[in-house]
Amino acid sequence: MPVTERPKPSLVPEYCKGCGRCVSVCVKGCIAFDDEINPATGVVPVVIDLEKCNGCGLCIEACPEPYGLRALDQGEDYELQDPAKLYGARLSEAPEPEDIPAQRIPLPACQPLVIKGNYAAALGALLAGCRHVYGYPITPSTEGAELMSKLLPRLDGVFLQAVSEVATVNHMYGTGGAGLPCLTFTSSPGFSLMLEGISYMAGAEVPAVFINIMRGGPGLGNIAPEQSDIKLACRGLGHGNTHAICLTPSTPQEMLDLTILAFELSFKYRHPVILLADGYLGQMTGKVQLPDHMTKPGIPKWAVYGDLAHRKNLINSIYLDEHDLERHNEYLCGKYEAMQAEARAETFLCEDAELIVVACNTPARAAKGAVQELRHQGLKAGLFRPLTVWPFPVEQLKAHLGPGRRLLVVEASAGQLEDELRLALSHAGLPVPPVAHVRRMGGMLPQQDQIVAAATAILA
Amino acid sequence: MSATLEYQAKDYKSELKPIWCPGCGDYSVVQGIYRALAAIGRPPHEIAFISGIGCSSRIPGYTTAYGFNTVHGRALPIAQGIKMANPDLLVLAAGGDGDGFSIGGGHLAHLVRRNMDITYIVMDNQIYGLTKGQLSPTSQKGRQTCTSRFGSLEEPVNPLLYMLAYGAHFVAQACPTDLAGMAAIIEEAIRFPGFAFVNIQSPCVTYGEEAQQMKGLKAIQESLKALGHDPADRLAAMDLAQQYGTKMHLGVFYRNPEPPATYEQLVRERQAEQMKNAAPRERILDLFIKK
Repeated sequence: MPVTERPKPSLVPEYCKGCGRCVSVCVKGCIAFDDEINPATGVVPVVIDLEKCNGCGLCIEACPEPYGLRALDQGEDYELQDPAKLYGARLSEAPEPEDIPAQRIPLPACQPLVIKGNYAAALGALLAGCRHVYGYPITPSTEGAELMSKLLPRLDGVFLQAVSEVATVNHMYGTGGAGLPCLTFTSSPGFSLMLEGISYMAGAEVPAVFINIMRGGPGLGNIAPEQSDIKLACRGLGHGNTHAICLTPSTPQEMLDLTILAFELSFKYRHPVILLADGYLGQMTGKVQLPDHMTKPGIPKWAVYGDLAHRKNLINSIYLDEHDLERHNEYLCGKYEAMQAEARAETFLCEDAELIVVACNTPARAAKGAVQELRHQGLKAGLFRPLTVWPFPVEQLKAHLGPGRRLLVVEASAGQLEDELRLALSHAGLPVPPVAHVRRMGGMLPQQDQIVAAATAILA
Repeated sequence: MSATLEYQAKDYKSELKPIWCPGCGDYSVVQGIYRALAAIGRPPHEIAFISGIGCSSRIPGYTTAYGFNTVHGRALPIAQGIKMANPDLLVLAAGGDGDGFSIGGGHLAHLVRRNMDITYIVMDNQIYGLTKGQLSPTSQKGRQTCTSRFGSLEEPVNPLLYMLAYGAHFVAQACPTDLAGMAAIIEEAIRFPGFAFVNIQSPCVTYGEEAQQMKGLKAIQESLKALGHDPADRLAAMDLAQQYGTKMHLGVFYRNPEPPATYEQLVRERQAEQMKNAAPRERILDLFIKK
């Protein structure tokens, strides 16, 4: 829009400190010192009389305050600005932050423990160096928080029972932003409440580990195991273009191992990581061998730890300029692409299998039994067990696909795992083999005889 | 709303058998609610009973009123939605201290501000019972629970003082130690035109501490009436409410002698005022078109 008239100044008294630079530059004598104290600021702003003003703009130039004197046509309002740009390069005498690397501390060999899955995950977190745990009681995940409340004070750590899951995820945003490993135990309804925060953390690139002991839904549902948050964790992590690595253990041992891995991955990618377990895994007791080392976490160079060395860092997820936000999204998508390398799976008798049973979490245990039973009957079945449902281990699965090979997806949800499988095959440009399924819901799990029956119907 | 003598307490009792632990204070609370509802005499289908999540939030199921066992911490927003949809309903909301003062704590101030005619009954037992004994927002400082192994470091909230400070027009406290008194307080709260808050010290037999059982509560209970407290005196009420946790005062702390109009009344007035000279409905979109 062409400027037809030179702009006249407009004073925002709240920002004027009465320095008088504008008074001395005004050739028309429109601006004068005043003696009235501004009640909002306690200083004495100048007064302007625009009658003689010719809009030369010298006073606007002279004003050192970004919002004190502005051209009138800009009005007195101002728009929100990107904090990174508003203040320009952040001035600090501090040196460029450097990574303080994590240290490996060897652990003496010990007898395996026999503990609950929730406890195993809690121990895994402690061994991974996590000393900050927040949580809100929710069955069937609460034992994790309870153990942390007992152990953390003795380890120089903090367990804080938050007032809600909304508070929990934001406590984690704070601790993760400081560059420290943090964790929560929750279950499906609580995880739903955390999604907004997870989206912020993904946008701001803040690491944290969420252990979701999935229970029956939707709504209040029940406290029995289900796998019906796979969709939420893989496709619905709050608003925006978000993804996070989702690990799926199926034994108490894996609850420990994958929790440790979750912390490694969350710091490697500077991103939240979700551990999806189910109600049985949280409550199930099993043999757990501790690793041969533990980790003393360092402080990453991007952290806003609150000391001089990290003074230059800024953590935010706001990009008001569309171009900037698109670039940031492209950067995040690049990160999601890189995370594909973390896809993991375990196979059992898949090499010559004509039917590959795909299952994770507790249903994978019944599926393994079913595969063994089918082999006894001379039927060629194998088990493909994703350890990550996002990214889906499609490369690992590809090796076992081929002419005449079929899939049987066994899950405790209405096809959420199968959806991930089909989507992954489709993205990989692979033909989708015939897929059958055994699905249970509402806290009921697929039973071994059901899987055997479904497989026999296909193979025999 | 015509009070009739047709209804008795048993008419509000549902077929469901409560699954609270034997000896739970909530058994008495539901009895108190039956009695209060019988005294008021609204038929069960004109009552909506809303709760959040927790042991105490099972309570609507044990009544014959319309019940809604909702989302953790969200009983009050949902109750407000119901009241707006059908202002003629008698709306009761209930839940525990965790539901009301922790996860749902943010909603309290705003329902008080709006002053909808909803009665909120909190069964305060200073513990999370449903999840098996974690720290609650009203647990006293130093309390050892399974999420505060070495004692809580946080001061408990004082629900009575909160509600008075928020500007609630009816704040009362009751306890199963005095069932008749509790029923009377609930009745009075329901009859109060506007938002009414009743804090009920309902002991948790399974995870509660010795001092918080009926015997311990009886020892520290004191009737506000016997103390000569004037329920119209808000400042005196705040003074007394400060003793929450050490003394257990039973009765009405504060009842606004001149209750202001409720939100639903104001909404109706606003609607009447706006509809007075309004264009016919089919012309209402004209309001958006600049002449």
